[in-house]
Amino acid sequence: MNIIETKKLTKFYGKTMGITNLDLTIHEGEIFGFIGPNGAGKSTTIRTLLGLIYPTSGSATIFGKDIIKFGPEIKEEIGYLPSEVFYYDNMKVIDLLKYSGSFYKKDSKIISKRIRELAKYLDLDLKKKIDDLSYGNKKKVGIIQGLLHEPKLIILDEPTGGLDPLMQQRFFDLLRDENKKGVTILFSSHILNEVQKLCDRVAIIKDGKIIKVDTIRSLAENTHKRFKLETAVRVDKSRFTGIKGISDLVITDNSVSFLFRGHINEITKIIASINLTNMLVEEPDLEEIFMHYYV
Amino acid sequence: MNIIFRELKAHYKSLIGWSIGMLFMVIAGMAKYGAIATGGKQAIDLFKTFPKPVLVIAGINGLDVSTVIGYFGVLYLYILLMATIHSAMIGAEVISKEERDRTSEFLYPKPISRSKIVTEKLTAAIINIVILNLITTVTSIITVAFYAKDFSNNNLVLILMAGLFIMQILFFALGSVLAGLFKNPKLPSIVATAILLGTYIIWVVVDLNANLDFLKFVTPFKYFDASVIISEGHLDPLYIGLSALIIVVFITTTYLAFNKRDLKV
Repeated sequence: MNIIETKKLTKFYGKTMGITNLDLTIHEGEIFGFIGPNGAGKSTTIRTLLGLIYPTSGSATIFGKDIIKFGPEIKEEIGYLPSEVFYYDNMKVIDLLKYSGSFYKKDSKIISKRIRELAKYLDLDLKKKIDDLSYGNKKKVGIIQGLLHEPKLIILDEPTGGLDPLMQQRFFDLLRDENKKGVTILFSSHILNEVQKLCDRVAIIKDGKIIKVDTIRSLAENTHKRFKLETAVRVDKSRFTGIKGISDLVITDNSVSFLFRGHINEITKIIASINLTNMLVEEPDLEEIFMHYYV
Repeated sequence: MNIIFRELKAHYKSLIGWSIGMLFMVIAGMAKYGAIATGGKQAIDLFKTFPKPVLVIAGINGLDVSTVIGYFGVLYLYILLMATIHSAMIGAEVISKEERDRTSEFLYPKPISRSKIVTEKLTAAIINIVILNLITTVTSIITVAFYAKDFSNNNLVLILMAGLFIMQILFFALGSVLAGLFKNPKLPSIVATAILLGTYIIWVVVDLNANLDFLKFVTPFKYFDASVIISEGHLDPLYIGLSALIIVVFITTTYLAFNKRDLKV
Protein backbone atom coordinates (compact mmCIF):
# COMPACT_ATOMS: atom_id res chain seq x y z
CA MET A 1 0.00 0.00 0.00
CA ASN A 2 1.18 3.49 -0.80
CA ILE A 3 1.15 5.71 2.27
CA ILE A 4 1.96 8.89 0.37
CA GLU A 5 1.36 9.40 -3.31
CA THR A 6 1.71 12.67 -5.17
CA LYS A 7 0.75 13.22 -8.80
CA LYS A 8 2.26 16.18 -10.62
CA LEU A 9 2.11 18.11 -7.36
CA THR A 10 2.99 21.74 -8.08
CA LYS A 11 3.21 24.77 -5.84
CA PHE A 12 3.99 28.30 -6.89
CA TYR A 13 4.29 31.22 -4.47
CA GLY A 14 2.97 33.89 -6.79
CA LYS A 15 5.42 33.66 -9.66
CA THR A 16 8.10 32.00 -7.57
CA MET A 17 8.38 28.28 -8.05
CA GLY A 18 8.19 26.03 -4.99
CA ILE A 19 7.80 22.51 -6.45
CA THR A 20 6.98 21.37 -9.96
CA ASN A 21 5.23 18.20 -11.16
CA LEU A 22 6.30 16.21 -8.14
CA ASP A 23 5.56 12.49 -8.51
CA LEU A 24 6.39 10.67 -5.33
CA THR A 25 5.32 7.32 -3.93
CA ILE A 26 6.15 6.23 -0.41
CA HIS A 27 5.29 2.66 0.56
CA GLU A 28 3.95 1.39 3.84
CA GLY A 29 6.62 0.59 6.40
CA GLU A 30 9.56 2.25 4.70
CA ILE A 31 11.85 4.99 5.92
CA PHE A 32 11.97 7.35 3.01
CA GLY A 33 14.67 9.97 2.75
CA PHE A 34 13.91 13.30 1.13
CA ILE A 35 17.12 15.03 0.39
CA GLY A 36 18.14 18.30 -1.16
CA PRO A 37 19.81 21.60 -0.29
CA ASN A 38 18.02 24.47 1.42
CA GLY A 39 15.34 25.96 -0.82
CA ALA A 40 15.05 22.85 -3.00
CA GLY A 41 11.37 22.36 -2.10
CA LYS A 42 11.45 19.80 0.75
CA SER A 43 9.52 21.90 3.27
CA THR A 44 7.12 23.11 0.57
CA THR A 45 6.28 19.49 -0.25
CA ILE A 46 5.73 18.61 3.41
CA ARG A 47 3.65 21.71 4.16
CA THR A 48 1.50 20.97 1.11
CA LEU A 49 0.99 17.38 2.26
CA LEU A 50 -0.07 18.67 5.69
CA GLY A 51 -2.51 21.24 4.27
CA LEU A 52 -0.66 24.26 5.62
CA ILE A 53 -0.41 25.51 2.05
CA TYR A 54 -2.44 24.46 -0.97
CA PRO A 55 -1.09 23.02 -4.22
CA THR A 56 -1.28 25.19 -7.32
CA SER A 57 -1.99 22.06 -9.36
CA GLY A 58 -1.68 18.30 -9.10
CA SER A 59 -2.89 16.13 -6.26
CA ALA A 60 -1.70 14.05 -3.35
CA THR A 61 -3.08 11.29 -1.20
CA ILE A 62 -2.06 10.01 2.21
CA PHE A 63 -3.37 6.58 3.30
CA GLY A 64 -5.14 6.60 -0.09
CA LYS A 65 -7.20 9.69 0.82
CA ASP A 66 -7.05 13.11 -0.78
CA ILE A 67 -5.02 15.49 1.40
CA ILE A 68 -7.44 18.39 1.04
CA LYS A 69 -10.81 16.60 1.27
CA PHE A 70 -9.80 14.36 4.15
CA GLY A 71 -7.23 16.58 5.87
CA PRO A 72 -8.38 16.28 9.52
CA GLU A 73 -9.09 12.54 9.18
CA ILE A 74 -5.65 11.84 7.69
CA LYS A 75 -3.86 13.92 10.32
CA GLU A 76 -5.23 11.70 13.09
CA GLU A 77 -2.51 9.23 12.05
CA ILE A 78 0.30 11.65 11.22
CA GLY A 79 3.03 12.83 13.55
CA TYR A 80 4.95 15.90 12.38
CA LEU A 81 8.14 17.50 13.55
CA PRO A 82 8.89 20.80 11.80
CA SER A 83 12.41 22.04 11.17
CA GLU A 84 11.97 24.94 13.58
CA VAL A 85 9.93 24.48 16.73
CA PHE A 86 7.85 27.33 18.17
CA TYR A 87 5.47 26.95 21.07
CA TYR A 88 3.16 29.06 23.22
CA ASP A 89 4.72 31.30 25.86
CA ASN A 90 4.36 30.59 29.56
CA MET A 91 3.44 26.95 29.14
CA LYS A 92 5.01 24.05 30.94
CA VAL A 93 6.29 21.19 28.78
CA ILE A 94 3.70 18.79 30.21
CA ASP A 95 0.85 21.24 29.58
CA LEU A 96 1.91 21.76 25.98
CA LEU A 97 2.20 18.02 25.37
CA LYS A 98 -1.19 17.35 26.97
CA TYR A 99 -2.66 20.13 24.84
CA SER A 100 -1.09 18.50 21.78
CA GLY A 101 -2.49 15.11 22.85
CA SER A 102 -5.98 16.55 23.38
CA PHE A 103 -6.48 16.83 19.62
CA TYR A 104 -6.32 13.06 19.08
CA LYS A 105 -9.03 10.47 19.62
CA LYS A 106 -6.66 8.21 21.53
CA ASP A 107 -7.35 7.74 25.27
CA SER A 108 -5.76 10.55 27.27
CA LYS A 109 -4.34 8.07 29.82
CA ILE A 110 -2.52 6.17 27.07
CA ILE A 111 -1.18 9.47 25.70
CA SER A 112 -0.03 10.60 29.18
CA LYS A 113 1.77 7.29 29.68
CA ARG A 114 3.43 7.62 26.28
CA ILE A 115 4.50 11.21 27.07
CA ARG A 116 6.20 10.07 30.29
CA GLU A 117 7.92 7.16 28.53
CA LEU A 118 9.24 9.31 25.71
CA ALA A 119 10.33 12.09 28.09
CA LYS A 120 12.26 9.55 30.17
CA TYR A 121 13.87 8.07 27.07
CA LEU A 122 14.88 11.48 25.73
CA ASP A 123 15.86 12.77 29.16
CA LEU A 124 13.42 15.72 29.15
CA ASP A 125 12.10 17.46 32.27
CA LEU A 126 8.33 17.76 31.80
CA LYS A 127 7.89 20.28 34.61
CA LYS A 128 10.05 22.96 33.03
CA LYS A 129 8.63 25.98 31.26
CA ILE A 130 9.02 25.93 27.48
CA ASP A 131 10.63 29.39 27.58
CA ASP A 132 13.43 28.05 29.81
CA LEU A 133 14.40 25.20 27.47
CA SER A 134 17.47 25.13 25.24
CA TYR A 135 16.97 24.71 21.48
CA GLY A 136 17.87 21.02 21.73
CA ASN A 137 15.35 20.43 24.50
CA LYS A 138 12.66 22.27 22.54
CA LYS A 139 13.41 19.86 19.72
CA LYS A 140 12.85 16.97 22.12
CA VAL A 141 9.45 18.46 22.97
CA GLY A 142 8.80 18.50 19.23
CA ILE A 143 9.77 14.84 18.90
CA ILE A 144 7.44 13.83 21.74
CA GLN A 145 4.52 15.87 20.42
CA GLY A 146 5.05 14.20 17.04
CA LEU A 147 5.06 10.68 18.48
CA LEU A 148 2.75 10.83 21.51
CA HIS A 149 -0.32 9.56 19.64
CA GLU A 150 1.55 6.64 18.05
CA PRO A 151 0.96 7.76 14.45
CA LYS A 152 1.15 5.46 11.41
CA LEU A 153 3.09 8.06 9.46
CA ILE A 154 5.84 10.26 10.87
CA ILE A 155 6.94 13.28 8.86
CA LEU A 156 10.22 14.82 9.93
CA ASP A 157 11.57 18.04 8.44
CA GLU A 158 15.26 18.51 9.25
CA PRO A 159 14.65 16.90 12.65
CA THR A 160 18.11 16.63 14.17
CA GLY A 161 19.08 20.31 14.44
CA GLY A 162 20.01 21.11 18.03
CA LEU A 163 20.31 17.49 19.15
CA ASP A 164 23.71 16.38 20.40
CA PRO A 165 25.23 13.22 18.82
CA LEU A 166 24.12 10.97 21.69
CA MET A 167 20.57 12.27 21.51
CA GLN A 168 20.59 11.97 17.71
CA GLN A 169 21.52 8.31 18.13
CA ARG A 170 18.68 7.77 20.62
CA PHE A 171 16.30 9.55 18.29
CA PHE A 172 17.33 7.34 15.37
CA ASP A 173 16.93 4.23 17.54
CA LEU A 174 13.47 5.47 18.49
CA LEU A 175 12.58 5.93 14.83
CA ARG A 176 13.89 2.45 13.96
CA ASP A 177 11.76 0.98 16.76
CA GLU A 178 8.70 2.79 15.43
CA ASN A 179 9.51 1.60 11.94
CA LYS A 180 9.72 -2.01 13.18
CA LYS A 181 6.14 -1.61 14.43
CA GLY A 182 5.12 -0.80 10.85
CA VAL A 183 5.28 2.99 11.00
CA THR A 184 6.20 4.75 7.76
CA ILE A 185 8.66 7.62 8.03
CA LEU A 186 9.31 10.51 5.68
CA PHE A 187 12.68 11.94 6.68
CA SER A 188 13.62 15.22 5.06
CA SER A 189 17.18 16.41 5.47
CA HIS A 190 20.11 18.07 3.80
CA ILE A 191 22.49 16.03 5.95
CA LEU A 192 23.36 13.07 3.77
CA ASN A 193 24.97 11.02 6.45
CA GLU A 194 21.72 10.94 8.46
CA VAL A 195 19.71 9.78 5.50
CA GLN A 196 22.31 7.13 4.66
CA LYS A 197 22.17 5.79 8.23
CA LEU A 198 18.43 5.61 8.50
CA CYS A 199 16.61 5.41 5.19
CA ASP A 200 15.65 2.59 2.83
CA ARG A 201 14.90 4.72 -0.20
CA VAL A 202 15.68 8.29 -1.04
CA ALA A 203 14.39 10.99 -3.36
CA ILE A 204 16.78 13.72 -4.41
CA ILE A 205 15.08 17.05 -5.01
CA LYS A 206 16.66 19.97 -6.83
CA ASP A 207 15.04 23.30 -7.77
CA GLY A 208 11.59 21.94 -6.90
CA LYS A 209 11.92 18.83 -9.08
CA ILE A 210 12.62 15.23 -8.14
CA ILE A 211 15.74 14.26 -10.02
CA LYS A 212 16.25 10.74 -8.70
CA VAL A 213 14.38 8.20 -6.57
CA ASP A 214 16.26 5.07 -5.66
CA THR A 215 17.26 2.80 -2.81
CA ILE A 216 20.24 3.94 -0.81
CA ARG A 217 22.02 0.73 -1.77
CA SER A 218 21.27 1.07 -5.46
CA LEU A 219 22.31 4.70 -5.50
CA ALA A 220 25.65 3.76 -4.05
CA GLU A 221 26.13 0.68 -6.27
CA ASN A 222 25.02 2.05 -9.60
CA THR A 223 26.72 5.31 -9.53
CA HIS A 224 30.42 5.64 -8.90
CA LYS A 225 33.17 3.72 -7.17
CA ARG A 226 36.09 5.46 -5.60
CA PHE A 227 39.46 3.97 -6.63
CA LYS A 228 42.52 4.75 -4.50
CA LEU A 229 45.77 3.37 -5.90
CA GLU A 230 49.11 3.53 -4.14
CA THR A 231 51.86 3.35 -6.72
CA ALA A 232 55.62 2.62 -6.69
CA VAL A 233 56.30 5.46 -9.12
CA ARG A 234 54.38 8.44 -10.40
CA VAL A 235 51.82 7.39 -13.00
CA ASP A 236 51.46 9.42 -16.16
CA LYS A 237 48.07 11.02 -16.65
CA SER A 238 47.93 9.83 -20.26
CA ARG A 239 47.22 6.28 -19.07
CA PHE A 240 43.70 7.37 -18.08
CA THR A 241 42.91 9.59 -21.03
CA GLY A 242 40.16 8.39 -23.30
CA ILE A 243 38.62 6.08 -20.70
CA LYS A 244 34.91 6.66 -20.30
CA GLY A 245 33.49 7.04 -16.81
CA ILE A 246 36.51 8.47 -15.00
CA SER A 247 36.11 11.66 -13.04
CA ASP A 248 37.70 13.50 -10.16
CA LEU A 249 41.16 12.20 -11.16
CA VAL A 250 43.98 13.18 -8.79
CA ILE A 251 47.55 11.99 -9.36
CA THR A 252 50.41 12.53 -6.90
CA ASP A 253 53.92 11.02 -6.78
CA ASN A 254 52.73 7.82 -5.12
CA SER A 255 49.00 7.75 -5.52
CA VAL A 256 46.16 7.93 -7.96
CA SER A 257 42.57 8.59 -6.97
CA PHE A 258 39.46 8.78 -9.13
CA LEU A 259 35.76 8.05 -9.30
CA PHE A 260 34.73 5.46 -11.87
CA ARG A 261 31.39 4.56 -13.34
CA GLY A 262 31.32 1.96 -16.09
CA HIS A 263 32.39 -1.58 -16.89
CA ILE A 264 34.74 -2.77 -14.16
CA ASN A 265 36.87 -4.91 -16.55
CA GLU A 266 37.89 -1.89 -18.59
CA ILE A 267 39.39 -0.14 -15.62
CA THR A 268 41.01 -3.27 -14.12
CA LYS A 269 42.93 -3.77 -17.39
CA ILE A 270 44.47 -0.32 -17.01
CA ILE A 271 45.18 -0.82 -13.32
CA ALA A 272 46.88 -4.21 -14.07
CA SER A 273 49.50 -2.39 -16.12
CA ILE A 274 50.47 -0.12 -13.19
CA ASN A 275 53.09 -1.03 -10.59
CA LEU A 276 50.87 -0.95 -7.48
CA THR A 277 51.82 -1.11 -3.81
CA ASN A 278 48.21 -1.07 -2.63
CA MET A 279 44.71 -0.60 -3.95
CA LEU A 280 41.36 0.38 -2.39
CA VAL A 281 37.97 0.29 -4.10
CA GLU A 282 35.30 2.03 -2.05
CA GLU A 283 31.62 2.64 -2.38
CA PRO A 284 31.21 6.36 -2.52
CA ASP A 285 29.34 7.88 0.40
CA LEU A 286 26.07 9.64 -0.20
CA GLU A 287 27.84 12.99 -0.14
CA GLU A 288 29.73 12.05 -3.29
CA ILE A 289 26.58 10.71 -4.93
CA PHE A 290 24.74 13.84 -3.97
CA MET A 291 27.41 16.06 -5.47
CA HIS A 292 27.19 13.97 -8.63
CA TYR A 293 23.54 15.03 -8.99
CA TYR A 294 24.06 18.59 -7.98
CA VAL A 295 27.28 19.63 -9.62
CA MET B 1 -13.27 22.88 23.30
CA ASN B 2 -9.52 22.56 23.98
CA ILE B 3 -8.72 25.57 21.78
CA ILE B 4 -11.40 27.66 23.56
CA PHE B 5 -9.83 26.92 26.96
CA ARG B 6 -6.35 27.54 25.60
CA GLU B 7 -7.39 30.92 24.17
CA LEU B 8 -9.26 31.95 27.32
CA LYS B 9 -6.15 31.16 29.34
CA ALA B 10 -3.96 33.06 26.89
CA HIS B 11 -6.18 36.16 27.01
CA TYR B 12 -7.15 36.36 30.67
CA LYS B 13 -4.38 38.77 31.69
CA SER B 14 -5.17 41.10 28.82
CA LEU B 15 -8.88 40.91 29.69
CA ILE B 16 -8.13 41.86 33.30
CA GLY B 17 -6.14 44.86 32.01
CA TRP B 18 -8.93 46.03 29.68
CA SER B 19 -11.56 45.48 32.42
CA ILE B 20 -9.60 47.56 34.95
CA GLY B 21 -9.18 50.26 32.29
CA MET B 22 -12.89 50.25 31.57
CA LEU B 23 -13.83 50.31 35.29
CA PHE B 24 -11.49 53.23 35.82
CA MET B 25 -12.83 55.13 32.83
CA VAL B 26 -16.49 54.74 33.83
CA ILE B 27 -15.93 55.54 37.51
CA ALA B 28 -13.45 58.39 36.95
CA GLY B 29 -15.51 59.73 34.03
CA MET B 30 -18.72 59.81 36.05
CA ALA B 31 -16.88 61.37 39.00
CA LYS B 32 -16.47 64.45 36.79
CA TYR B 33 -20.28 64.61 36.66
CA GLY B 34 -20.22 65.03 40.42
CA ALA B 35 -18.09 68.15 39.93
CA ILE B 36 -20.38 69.52 37.20
CA ALA B 37 -23.48 68.79 39.26
CA THR B 38 -22.08 70.67 42.28
CA GLY B 39 -20.65 73.43 40.06
CA GLY B 40 -24.14 73.80 38.69
CA LYS B 41 -25.16 76.11 35.92
CA GLN B 42 -21.74 77.69 35.35
CA ALA B 43 -20.17 74.60 33.85
CA ILE B 44 -23.16 73.86 31.67
CA ASP B 45 -23.22 77.44 30.40
CA LEU B 46 -19.53 77.11 29.61
CA PHE B 47 -20.23 74.05 27.40
CA LYS B 48 -22.79 76.09 25.51
CA THR B 49 -20.12 78.60 24.51
CA PHE B 50 -17.98 75.88 22.88
CA PRO B 51 -17.92 75.86 19.06
CA LYS B 52 -19.81 72.95 17.47
CA PRO B 53 -16.72 71.06 16.22
CA VAL B 54 -15.42 70.88 19.80
CA LEU B 55 -18.80 69.65 21.06
CA VAL B 56 -18.97 67.01 18.32
CA ILE B 57 -15.41 65.75 18.79
CA ALA B 58 -15.92 65.60 22.57
CA GLY B 59 -19.24 63.76 22.07
CA ILE B 60 -21.24 66.49 23.82
CA ASN B 61 -23.30 67.56 20.82
CA GLY B 62 -27.04 66.98 21.29
CA LEU B 63 -26.73 65.81 24.87
CA ASP B 64 -28.03 67.53 28.00
CA VAL B 65 -25.00 67.19 30.27
CA SER B 66 -26.91 68.60 33.23
CA THR B 67 -28.64 65.21 33.57
CA VAL B 68 -26.85 62.08 34.71
CA ILE B 69 -27.88 60.06 31.67
CA GLY B 70 -26.99 62.96 29.35
CA TYR B 71 -23.56 63.15 30.89
CA PHE B 72 -23.21 59.36 30.66
CA GLY B 73 -24.05 59.72 26.96
CA VAL B 74 -20.85 61.80 26.57
CA LEU B 75 -18.86 59.13 28.34
CA TYR B 76 -20.52 56.47 26.15
CA LEU B 77 -18.49 57.62 23.13
CA TYR B 78 -15.24 56.90 24.96
CA ILE B 79 -16.61 53.57 26.22
CA LEU B 80 -17.49 52.73 22.61
CA LEU B 81 -14.03 53.65 21.37
CA MET B 82 -12.25 51.65 24.06
CA ALA B 83 -14.44 48.54 23.77
CA THR B 84 -14.35 48.48 19.97
CA ILE B 85 -10.57 48.84 19.90
CA HIS B 86 -10.43 45.83 22.24
CA SER B 87 -12.82 43.78 20.13
CA ALA B 88 -11.22 44.69 16.78
CA MET B 89 -7.82 43.72 18.14
CA ILE B 90 -8.95 40.46 19.71
CA GLY B 91 -10.88 39.52 16.55
CA ALA B 92 -7.78 40.04 14.43
CA GLU B 93 -5.27 38.63 16.85
CA VAL B 94 -7.06 35.46 17.90
CA ILE B 95 -6.80 34.13 14.34
CA SER B 96 -3.55 35.65 13.12
CA LYS B 97 -1.44 35.05 16.23
CA GLU B 98 -0.56 31.44 15.31
CA GLU B 99 1.11 32.81 12.17
CA ARG B 100 2.60 35.80 14.03
CA ASP B 101 4.08 33.60 16.78
CA ARG B 102 5.04 30.88 14.28
CA THR B 103 2.99 28.23 16.10
CA SER B 104 1.08 27.35 12.90
CA GLU B 105 3.22 24.28 12.39
CA PHE B 106 2.17 23.09 15.84
CA LEU B 107 -1.59 23.67 15.57
CA TYR B 108 -2.57 23.19 11.95
CA PRO B 109 -1.07 19.69 11.41
CA LYS B 110 -3.42 18.49 14.18
CA PRO B 111 -6.52 16.48 13.19
CA ILE B 112 -8.91 19.41 13.24
CA SER B 113 -10.31 21.43 10.36
CA ARG B 114 -9.45 25.08 9.91
CA SER B 115 -13.16 25.92 10.25
CA LYS B 116 -13.33 24.28 13.65
CA ILE B 117 -10.17 26.08 14.75
CA VAL B 118 -11.71 29.41 13.65
CA THR B 119 -15.00 28.58 15.42
CA GLU B 120 -13.26 27.78 18.71
CA LYS B 121 -11.01 30.82 18.50
CA LEU B 122 -13.89 33.18 17.67
CA THR B 123 -15.94 31.67 20.51
CA ALA B 124 -13.14 32.37 22.97
CA ALA B 125 -12.86 35.94 21.67
CA ILE B 126 -16.64 36.49 21.99
CA ILE B 127 -16.51 35.24 25.60
CA ASN B 128 -13.84 37.91 26.27
CA ILE B 129 -16.03 40.55 24.61
CA VAL B 130 -19.12 39.50 26.59
CA ILE B 131 -17.18 39.66 29.87
CA LEU B 132 -15.88 43.15 29.08
CA ASN B 133 -19.39 44.25 28.13
CA LEU B 134 -20.90 42.80 31.34
CA ILE B 135 -18.27 44.52 33.48
CA THR B 136 -18.95 47.80 31.67
CA THR B 137 -22.72 47.37 32.01
CA VAL B 138 -22.69 46.58 35.74
CA THR B 139 -20.22 49.41 36.47
CA SER B 140 -22.27 51.85 34.40
CA ILE B 141 -25.59 50.93 36.05
CA ILE B 142 -24.13 51.25 39.55
CA THR B 143 -22.27 54.50 38.81
CA VAL B 144 -25.18 56.17 37.02
CA ALA B 145 -27.55 55.09 39.82
CA PHE B 146 -25.08 56.45 42.40
CA TYR B 147 -25.12 59.96 40.90
CA ALA B 148 -28.85 59.88 40.01
CA LYS B 149 -29.56 58.52 43.49
CA ASP B 150 -32.04 56.03 41.95
CA PHE B 151 -32.23 53.31 39.29
CA SER B 152 -34.54 55.24 36.95
CA ASN B 153 -31.88 55.30 34.17
CA ASN B 154 -31.34 51.53 34.17
CA ASN B 155 -33.36 50.96 31.05
CA LEU B 156 -31.48 53.57 28.99
CA VAL B 157 -28.12 52.36 30.24
CA LEU B 158 -29.04 48.81 29.25
CA ILE B 159 -30.11 49.97 25.77
CA LEU B 160 -26.84 51.87 25.37
CA MET B 161 -24.94 48.75 26.48
CA ALA B 162 -26.86 46.64 23.95
CA GLY B 163 -25.68 49.11 21.30
CA LEU B 164 -22.17 48.81 22.69
CA PHE B 165 -22.35 45.03 22.37
CA ILE B 166 -23.46 45.19 18.74
CA MET B 167 -20.60 47.63 18.03
CA GLN B 168 -18.15 45.30 19.78
CA ILE B 169 -19.27 42.33 17.69
CA LEU B 170 -19.19 44.44 14.54
CA PHE B 171 -15.58 45.49 15.02
CA PHE B 172 -14.63 42.03 16.25
CA ALA B 173 -16.02 40.68 12.94
CA LEU B 174 -13.99 43.33 11.09
CA GLY B 175 -10.81 42.20 12.86
CA SER B 176 -11.51 38.55 12.12
CA VAL B 177 -12.28 39.07 8.44
CA LEU B 178 -9.00 40.97 8.01
CA ALA B 179 -7.14 38.11 9.74
CA GLY B 180 -8.90 35.69 7.41
CA LEU B 181 -7.88 37.68 4.35
CA PHE B 182 -4.36 38.87 5.15
CA LYS B 183 -1.42 36.49 5.08
CA ASN B 184 0.78 39.01 6.88
CA PRO B 185 -0.17 38.44 10.54
CA LYS B 186 0.89 41.92 11.66
CA LEU B 187 -1.52 43.74 9.34
CA PRO B 188 -5.02 42.74 10.54
CA SER B 189 -4.99 44.47 13.94
CA ILE B 190 -3.28 47.59 12.52
CA VAL B 191 -5.74 47.87 9.62
CA ALA B 192 -8.75 47.11 11.87
CA THR B 193 -7.75 49.87 14.31
CA ALA B 194 -7.12 52.29 11.44
CA ILE B 195 -10.58 51.57 9.97
CA LEU B 196 -12.11 52.03 13.43
CA LEU B 197 -10.51 55.44 13.88
CA GLY B 198 -11.42 56.30 10.27
CA THR B 199 -15.10 55.58 10.92
CA TYR B 200 -14.93 57.69 14.09
CA ILE B 201 -13.56 60.63 12.07
CA ILE B 202 -16.33 60.11 9.48
CA TRP B 203 -18.88 60.24 12.34
CA VAL B 204 -17.46 63.60 13.44
CA VAL B 205 -17.48 64.93 9.86
CA VAL B 206 -21.08 63.79 9.27
CA ASP B 207 -22.22 65.50 12.48
CA LEU B 208 -20.53 68.73 11.43
CA ASN B 209 -21.77 68.81 7.85
CA ALA B 210 -25.40 68.02 7.05
CA ASN B 211 -24.56 67.69 3.34
CA LEU B 212 -22.57 64.57 4.14
CA ASP B 213 -25.52 62.86 5.83
CA PHE B 214 -25.42 60.03 3.24
CA LEU B 215 -22.14 58.92 4.89
CA LYS B 216 -24.00 58.00 8.08
CA PHE B 217 -24.33 54.41 6.87
CA VAL B 218 -20.55 54.15 6.49
CA THR B 219 -19.79 54.75 10.15
CA PRO B 220 -21.17 52.42 12.83
CA PHE B 221 -20.63 55.22 15.39
CA LYS B 222 -23.68 56.85 13.79
CA TYR B 223 -25.69 53.63 14.19
CA PHE B 224 -25.46 53.89 17.97
CA ASP B 225 -25.31 57.63 18.59
CA ALA B 226 -25.92 58.23 22.32
CA SER B 227 -27.87 61.48 21.80
CA VAL B 228 -30.36 59.71 19.48
CA ILE B 229 -30.68 56.61 21.68
CA ILE B 230 -31.29 58.69 24.82
CA SER B 231 -33.86 60.97 23.16
CA GLU B 232 -35.73 58.12 21.41
CA GLY B 233 -35.31 55.51 24.12
CA HIS B 234 -34.50 52.65 21.75
CA LEU B 235 -32.01 51.44 19.14
CA ASP B 236 -32.87 52.05 15.49
CA PRO B 237 -34.04 48.70 13.97
CA LEU B 238 -32.57 49.74 10.59
CA TYR B 239 -29.11 50.05 12.10
CA ILE B 240 -29.50 46.82 14.08
CA GLY B 241 -30.39 45.06 10.82
CA LEU B 242 -27.52 46.69 8.94
CA SER B 243 -25.07 45.74 11.70
CA ALA B 244 -26.34 42.14 11.69
CA LEU B 245 -25.89 41.97 7.92
CA ILE B 246 -22.32 43.33 8.09
CA ILE B 247 -21.46 40.91 10.91
CA VAL B 248 -22.81 37.89 8.98
CA VAL B 249 -20.94 38.93 5.81
CA PHE B 250 -17.66 39.50 7.71
CA ILE B 251 -17.83 36.24 9.68
CA THR B 252 -18.78 34.19 6.60
CA THR B 253 -15.93 35.78 4.66
CA THR B 254 -13.55 35.00 7.53
CA TYR B 255 -14.30 31.27 7.19
CA LEU B 256 -14.21 31.26 3.39
CA ALA B 257 -11.00 33.28 3.09
CA PHE B 258 -9.12 31.56 5.91
CA ASN B 259 -10.02 28.10 4.61
CA LYS B 260 -8.76 28.98 1.16
CA ARG B 261 -5.52 30.76 1.81
CA ASP B 262 -2.01 29.51 2.46
CA LEU B 263 -0.80 29.87 6.02
CA LYS B 264 2.32 31.88 6.69
CA VAL B 265 4.84 29.37 8.02
